[in-house]
Amino acid sequence: MLEQIVYAIPFLFGGLWVTLVVSALTVGISLVAGVLLGCALIYGALPLRLLVRLFSDTIRGIPILVLLFFVYYGFPAIGIDFDAFWAAVTALTLFKTAQVIEYLRGAVQSIPRGQTEAGMAIGLTFAERLRYVIFPQALRRFLPPWINGVTDAVKGSALVSLLGVTDLMHSINQVIGRTYEALPLYILGAFIYFVINYSLSALSRRLERRFSFMQA
Amino acid sequence: MTSLRRDFLKFGAFGLASAGVTGGSLVLTAGEAAAQSAADSLLPKVIDRGKVLVGTGSTNAPWHFEDDAGELVGMDITMGRILAKALFDDETKVEFVLQDPAQRIPNVNTGKVDIVCQFMTMSGQRAQLVNFSRPYYVEGVALISRPGNEIKSYDDLLTIGSKARVSILQNVGAEEAVHEALPEAEVMQLDTQANVLQAVDSRRADAAVVDLSTVRWLVAKNPDRYFDSGKQWRSMLYGAAMKQGDLDWLTFVNTAFTIAMFGHETTLYDAAFKTFFGLEPPTRTPGFPTI
Repeated sequence: MLEQIVYAIPFLFGGLWVTLVVSALTVGISLVAGVLLGCALIYGALPLRLLVRLFSDTIRGIPILVLLFFVYYGFPAIGIDFDAFWAAVTALTLFKTAQVIEYLRGAVQSIPRGQTEAGMAIGLTFAERLRYVIFPQALRRFLPPWINGVTDAVKGSALVSLLGVTDLMHSINQVIGRTYEALPLYILGAFIYFVINYSLSALSRRLERRFSFMQA
Repeated sequence: MTSLRRDFLKFGAFGLASAGVTGGSLVLTAGEAAAQSAADSLLPKVIDRGKVLVGTGSTNAPWHFEDDAGELVGMDITMGRILAKALFDDETKVEFVLQDPAQRIPNVNTGKVDIVCQFMTMSGQRAQLVNFSRPYYVEGVALISRPGNEIKSYDDLLTIGSKARVSILQNVGAEEAVHEALPEAEVMQLDTQANVLQAVDSRRADAAVVDLSTVRWLVAKNPDRYFDSGKQWRSMLYGAAMKQGDLDWLTFVNTAFTIAMFGHETTLYDAAFKTFFGLEPPTRTPGFPTI
């Protein structure tokens, strides 16, 4: 079994790189978009709040697999024709953005209203209240579910192989397709995904400790 | 009558002369000829693009897989190269678009690829959705087991009746396919060919029903690990799939495949047939067309 694992490793680097890139793009773009839309959901005007709520509920209500195929096959009908890689990144990002919106809403709304009122009482502007009062406290509550979501994104990135994108999982299947030795490759794949996600979890714990002084 | 004849000949001579002049200017390049095909045909578009987009997989030997050098090879891949050779006289002018088997029909119908060569069984239902090329292989299904198993031959499996556990790739009619050969067997439908075989390896199944070509490939490569149970049935035609409504493209592909299988350019097909199925291609005899 060890021999088969050693044989397979050189064939997996390309796929591993694609998995890391897809995960990084998904996490990075969804963080920015999710925070902006999350703020819009909490502080925006009613029409904007309704729009963001509609987006979040719709996307979270659709299985990610359906979303993936919808972006790949449905978007060309409205003139947006991504290749398989960008269609996969778009679908995963849309899904993750909807989750980030909710992480942010939960984190911000869990800060007692008195904190905002105290900020107003000392004359802080809206932007200053967010920057110096609300966000620093919300960050600690935002981090654990968000990093949990990041590990989900890494694992979820395996779905891109359904569009023919050669990620880590697809590379594993390519070696299995040649050797028909499935079990050693699945063990190797599980190990690589575990190393990535365990590293992220360890990072999460460090970040939580780093920001623990901001306990509300 | 004579004069008429003479006039006719005169006209003929003049006609030939003028035909020589005008015909010279009417000699068309391949691109120009293709441009005369239906305006919305893929044929001129593919020629203009300079490469053909072939949808296929990369995870199923001997049909489409990466060899030890990481090169995409297999019988389906060869069919793509045959098409490129016919289009551009260069078998490398092909881009293989990797796709999941579930994407075969959607990708060809949404124009993501020009053609699909991905061990696609021709069926009446599928032919309502896509156009199939002429078949390029006649596949069958067969039973594969492990040499060390107590129950391994077809007769063994038949004898134990409902106690026989048989794995097969999830597909329409998979259960019926197993029951044609083993009427009482318990059927285990799994998502990939690798997992179908993994079920045999991990002894969750006594035998697996896989493509005959796969049985040949695996038993030849790993005789100590796999055993041909000695039962083949169900002929299935494998063909390439194209979008419907494009007669020029369909005819071109059929012509290219026919030439590669029966005509004067069989080198690519024959080499692949021997490499991937371990079989000698049949001898082609000039004379009556047996195609």
